[in-house]
Amino acid sequence: MISIVQAPAYLAVQDLGWPSSRSAGMPLSGAMDRWALTAANLMVGNAPDAAALEWALTGGRLRFGRDTQVAVCGPGVSTTLAFPAGGEFDLVRPTEGRFLYLAVSGGLDVPEVLGSRSTYMPAGIGHRLKAGDTVPMGAPSKGRPRMPAGAPNYESGVVRVVAGPQRELFTSPAWERFLESTWRVSRASDRMGYRLEGDVPVAAPAADLPSEAACVGAVQVPPDGLPIVLMADGPTVGGYPKIAVVISADLPVMAQRAVGGSLRFREVSIEESQAMLRDTVPLRSARGTWSSLG
Amino acid sequence: MTRPRIAPLGDGALTITWPGGISLETHRQVRAAAHRVRSAQLPAVRDLVPAYTTLSIFYDCQSADYETLARRVGELIEGDAADADFPPGREHRIRVVYDGPDLTDVARETGLSVAEVVARHTGRWYDVYLVGFVPGWAYLGELDPALSLPRRGSPRQRVPAGSVAIAGAQTGVYPFATPGGWHLIGRTDVSLFDPTRTPPALFQVGDRVRFEAT
Repeated sequence: MISIVQAPAYLAVQDLGWPSSRSAGMPLSGAMDRWALTAANLMVGNAPDAAALEWALTGGRLRFGRDTQVAVCGPGVSTTLAFPAGGEFDLVRPTEGRFLYLAVSGGLDVPEVLGSRSTYMPAGIGHRLKAGDTVPMGAPSKGRPRMPAGAPNYESGVVRVVAGPQRELFTSPAWERFLESTWRVSRASDRMGYRLEGDVPVAAPAADLPSEAACVGAVQVPPDGLPIVLMADGPTVGGYPKIAVVISADLPVMAQRAVGGSLRFREVSIEESQAMLRDTVPLRSARGTWSSLG
Repeated sequence: MTRPRIAPLGDGALTITWPGGISLETHRQVRAAAHRVRSAQLPAVRDLVPAYTTLSIFYDCQSADYETLARRVGELIEGDAADADFPPGREHRIRVVYDGPDLTDVARETGLSVAEVVARHTGRWYDVYLVGFVPGWAYLGELDPALSLPRRGSPRQRVPAGSVAIAGAQTGVYPFATPGGWHLIGRTDVSLFDPTRTPPALFQVGDRVRFEAT
């Protein structure tokens, strides 16, 4: 097992979340940076969707209860290390992004809930890890360590989007404003969503829309004209118009944008976006099945 | 019936929108389409979210691209909903203690007695139009028009789990303690969401719900 000696301000177990439980209102949840979690798993020979540690804000310290291979991954960090039983490891404070990931060979063996080991605090599934907590490890993986491909360009200030389902409700000047503005990530941003600030808001349509499904990466424009990008724990439905949706390949870039960090959006076609995904490492869990639909 | 419109919801989902705004008739088209898509068992499809006037289909774009899936789904949902397209939903009777902190305000603002508010809230079956926002939350409609009030001017920081609430033409039950702006008229001890249960949400789109005063 892993003992938490000193916990970062945020530390939790995550995998790739719940891809097939939205009909019950469960968000996708899971890792904010799905690429970095997947990469850390591949580096220790795990399945890409094994459970790992996600942390943010500050550093901390862990102790490993047995010999283990460890990988740490995130913006500016990509290392594999071997630890003896009793070895202690400093979790560095994320400095080049918001979230870092630590995978151990065999993954973390916390109980599965609805097919995922992720932490989703609003529904009381899992919890934020504190000093003194322990996390069980799975049997060491026999898989061959692999080097992940297709690393996100975290330093890029450009986040690519496809037009959202309500794009047509926005005027052309509003759409251009959205694409040409430089946006800053507001302090009011968490695992549910990132609020953006800009010099001139986007003119939001007056339409009163019936609530409908939202998704991770959906860019909602509330009446104040300041966009909100829904993130991993974002609500499954919403009533604000969605001007655009961040493409899956750039969600890690969006997730790792620090408070105050600036970005611009660039439109790509749905064909380009899906072609990019087919060319990169598997980012999605293959576990979703029809049998899990209620 | 005007044809529904299909559009991408990012690179991992698509949304079908029926024209005409909120009505039970439109929502029945949504439910029929959801049933047809579910029954087709398309291998790329991961999840379905039926809502008031929309059906969103989440899929794995490594198995199917948008164009191909949109065409296939368009074929599946062609034609108006028939009776055969409606597998019967479940019926839930939920026992409620009508002692919510907003009950007397609701009575005053609607010009009804407290007993009349309770009678009108318990006096009809509600359809589950949408499940989501937080796990297990269900949007139930339609409320008796005499009970229709806008949301509270300022939302509460914390609404207790199990609170039975109304707002606009809708009613619902808070599954967890969350912030909320609806009027609280009662409470129930029924569990709206339990991840160890299958399905985890008590209410599913297509189910019907009736409240009973205890």
